[in-house]
Parts: sequence; C-alpha cells; structure tokens
Amino acid sequence: MLHWMFNCKEVSEKVSLSMDASLPVHHRMMIAMHLLMCKYCNRFRKQLIILRNAIRLEKLPEDDPALAGSLSKSTRERIKKAVREAAP
Amino acid sequence: MKAPIDNPENWVDEYGDFLYRYALSRVKDPSIAEDLVQETFLAALKARQNFQGRSTAKTWLVAILKHKIVDHIRKKVWEQTSDKVETLFDATANDSVDARFNGRGGWNNRPAKWAINPTKLYEQKEFIEILYRCLGELPERQAKAFMMREIDGLSTDEICKALGITATNSWVILYRARMLLRQCLEIKWLGTEN
Repeated sequence: MLHWMFNCKEVSEKVSLSMDASLPVHHRMMIAMHLLMCKYCNRFRKQLIILRNAIRLEKLPEDDPALAGSLSKSTRERIKKAVREAAP
Repeated sequence: MKAPIDNPENWVDEYGDFLYRYALSRVKDPSIAEDLVQETFLAALKARQNFQGRSTAKTWLVAILKHKIVDHIRKKVWEQTSDKVETLFDATANDSVDARFNGRGGWNNRPAKWAINPTKLYEQKEFIEILYRCLGELPERQAKAFMMREIDGLSTDEICKALGITATNSWVILYRARMLLRQCLEIKWLGTEN
C-alpha cells in the first residue's frame, strides 16, 4: 500500500530512530510534514532532545551551597591509596 | 589533560572535588558520594585503555560516575521496592509500546507540556533528580543501552557489539527506553495532563 503519511506512533518511532541513525530523505520529509500539524508529536520530539541534553549535562547549578563541599583530606588520601593499590 | 591520565593518583587532586560535588548533587549523602568517587577512579583505572582522547579526561570521568550513580539508585530502588509494590515499570512492563497509541496510531496519552527552560537544564535540580531516579527504575538492559548511547556517546554499532544484539534490536530498545523515561518524568515530575 502506498504510504505517504506517518501517524503519531510511526513519527514517535522515527523521531527516536533519527537520534541514532540517519533517515532516508523521504522519511525526514514525512516527519516534518507531520510535525507541522501535530503539536503532541512536536512536544514529544522536543522532550526527547531535553532527555538527551539533560543526561549529557556536566554542568552543576551555580550558587548552590549544598554543593560547595570538597573531599576531606583523609578521604582524598584514602582514595589515592585505593588507586595506588589498584594501579598495575 | 595529559598528566592526570598518565598518573592516576593525580586524578584525585585534579578531578576529585568536582566528581564529589557531582555525585553529591545526585545522591545527597556525602559518604555515598565519596564511595562513588572512589569507584569511579578505580573503574577509570581499569578502563584506561578505552580513553582515547575522544573527550576530555573530565568528561570521561563524569560519564563513568554517572553510570555509578545510576547503578547506586537502581540498587536502592530495588531494595525499597518490596514485591508488593509495583514500580511504574512493573506496571507497564507487559504492555507493549503499542498500548500508548490507539488503533489509528494516535496518542492515547498525549505528551503534556513541560514547563522547563531547555537552555538552563543544569538549574532544573528537581527535574534532573527525577530523571536519575527514572533511569534507576528502567529495566536494566534498556538503561544500559540508553546510557551507552547518551552518556558514553557510543554508536548503535558499538552498543550492538557490547550487548550482543542486532541493529534493529538496539533501535527498539532505545525507543522503549526513551518512551518509558519520558512517561516516568511526566508522571513523577509534572503530574499534569495536556
């Protein structure tokens, strides 16, 4: 059957796939067409990107007193010792 | 970046505090954070050959730490979860992803609007905290594939080799992981409809 419109389920699959592999041009166009009309799939796509960026974060919130801590001298030494003993 | 990789003991001086703060921001408990930092250095030592300068040493160490944090959360989640209590994923484990869509392929539960500034994610402490909790609740294989892809930046080819699965399989696993994570965040973080 000629298939030229993706439904939401297909778009959700293809949007995820597009984050891991490159899609053929006609699939990319079909996704874009669907996204023009569907706010829920648009949200879905943006949210997957948020998930990706959030998990890749390295930066910590600034000005958070709870995070001002550092390793104590004794802990630092303990960890160094463990590393030294494990080193080949 | 060269010296710390050459001499593992220097890692502790160079990156110890940052890793500690990072761990603390996710697990709250200082002694657990210390343990996670130590485990991270030991794991890094073992995997030293794999560090090929694809990223900075700091990024590499933080990635290892993130795996350790999720492992820790997973253990905690499963300890707390008696067999009487269903986690979100027990409840949905037997559902196929198909159940999220109706017969015509439309959403059964439409994605809600997320009140979040995507450019300031690092300030969204609650969101990040729940994200890690949700990762800890994900079926282990899915969590692993997802983290290899998103934290370690591995290609699906590399993930397939590591997990002994086919390419199609890896895409399905990553899709399910994303669906479950998105849903988990929506339930635990937002709790709103539409």
